Amino acid sequence: MAEKEPRSSGGSDGSELGTTAREMRAAEPYISAVWKLVGGAVVGVLGGYWLDKWLGTTPWLLVALSLVGISVGFYGFLRAMTRLGKRK
Amino acid sequence: MRKAMVLFASLFAAVAWASSGPAAEGEKEDVAAYILHHVSDSHELEIEVPLSHDHITLHLPQILVPFKDGACTPVMTDHGEVTPGLGAGCLDLSITKHTVMMWLAAVLLIGSILIWSNRDKTKLVPRGTGANLFEMLVLFVRDELAIKNIGKEEGPRYVPYLLTAFFFILFMNLLGLFPWMASATGNLAVTCGLAVCTFVVTQLAGIRAAGFGGYLAHLTGGVHPLLWPIMIPVEFLGLFTKPFALTVRLFANMLAGHIVIFFLLGLIFILQHPAVAIISVPFAFGIYLLELFVAFVQAYVFTMLSALFIGMGVAMGHHGDDHGHAHDHKEGGHAEGKAHAMGH
Repeated sequence: MAEKEPRSSGGSDGSELGTTAREMRAAEPYISAVWKLVGGAVVGVLGGYWLDKWLGTTPWLLVALSLVGISVGFYGFLRAMTRLGKRK
Repeated sequence: MRKAMVLFASLFAAVAWASSGPAAEGEKEDVAAYILHHVSDSHELEIEVPLSHDHITLHLPQILVPFKDGACTPVMTDHGEVTPGLGAGCLDLSITKHTVMMWLAAVLLIGSILIWSNRDKTKLVPRGTGANLFEMLVLFVRDELAIKNIGKEEGPRYVPYLLTAFFFILFMNLLGLFPWMASATGNLAVTCGLAVCTFVVTQLAGIRAAGFGGYLAHLTGGVHPLLWPIMIPVEFLGLFTKPFALTVRLFANMLAGHIVIFFLLGLIFILQHPAVAIISVPFAFGIYLLELFVAFVQAYVFTMLSALFIGMGVAMGHHGDDHGHAHDHKEGGHAEGKAHAMGH
């Protein structure tokens, strides 16, 4: 390339990162926290359903693992939000 | 311009009028099948001979790798002969229409890089539209996508991958706008493959930033080890949400544009009146121009999001900041960095 040095493209805070990148990085912990809440339930239900089919214990493992998944997801979500609150 | 459009539509209407009649009767039901046939992948490359109804059909080689004896024997179904899939023990490595388009895009990519980058090296000021346009796009990807989304220190490291993705997708998108060609990005397998490449680069960026231990630690979600059997699958599934978005966005956008163009032209045969061409041909032409714009936009969006995700991977090892600096981390990461990575 003829131009060797990248031209300066600083953000308002002096960072070279674009607005979208800064906002996405700031939002990432919150996205992750919400995914914990949703993903816990999803993994619990799917895992329970699959184990029930495999072991022939319908519907007990589905019920049990759904509750466990929802609880773990909720716990992970609360833990993440508490830590984010502390950091702020 | 308006006169040209009217003339263009009139010519099409005249051609449609000339070709209407008994042949068009049977085509009413076939429009949907025709559209699907044109946008889907196939083992043949059909090239129409201009000003005639003749086609040159190139039969592409079928390469089937059976894992067990007779696994690749075609099975008769309602839709004709179907080759068994991977589940039945048959690996299909056939060269298809979209594979050829990808190869063509790769040749164009390598050729353009070699020609224009060489011109850039040998002259102080590159001359020519191609060289200047190429340099403008390269600098745009470097400055506006890589550095703005990853950071000044880490960004340049990922520029080669981002440039490859940008130009490869762009050439594939543009090839689909030529007659007798196909858009390989209108194939879910192709966009999935591209998203997998971004996924791998993103994970490597995360490992590089947080250390392998730190990267594995963020998969635990920061909860008690007793809860890991639930939380690790949750975090692992969460890794695939971003590449999934990349896959579907590119595939759906490219496929939808082609289907709309075909459907607008198919209206002539569905409504079975040549006068429809006066409306549908200019509309199809407008959508075609929009497709030309979308070809660039989708290449940009894929590259921008790839850079954004790589940047988020790089940020995994940061101390709760967002200033894009690279920090040194010992192998194994550290509590603060990994806690920040996944929302603590």
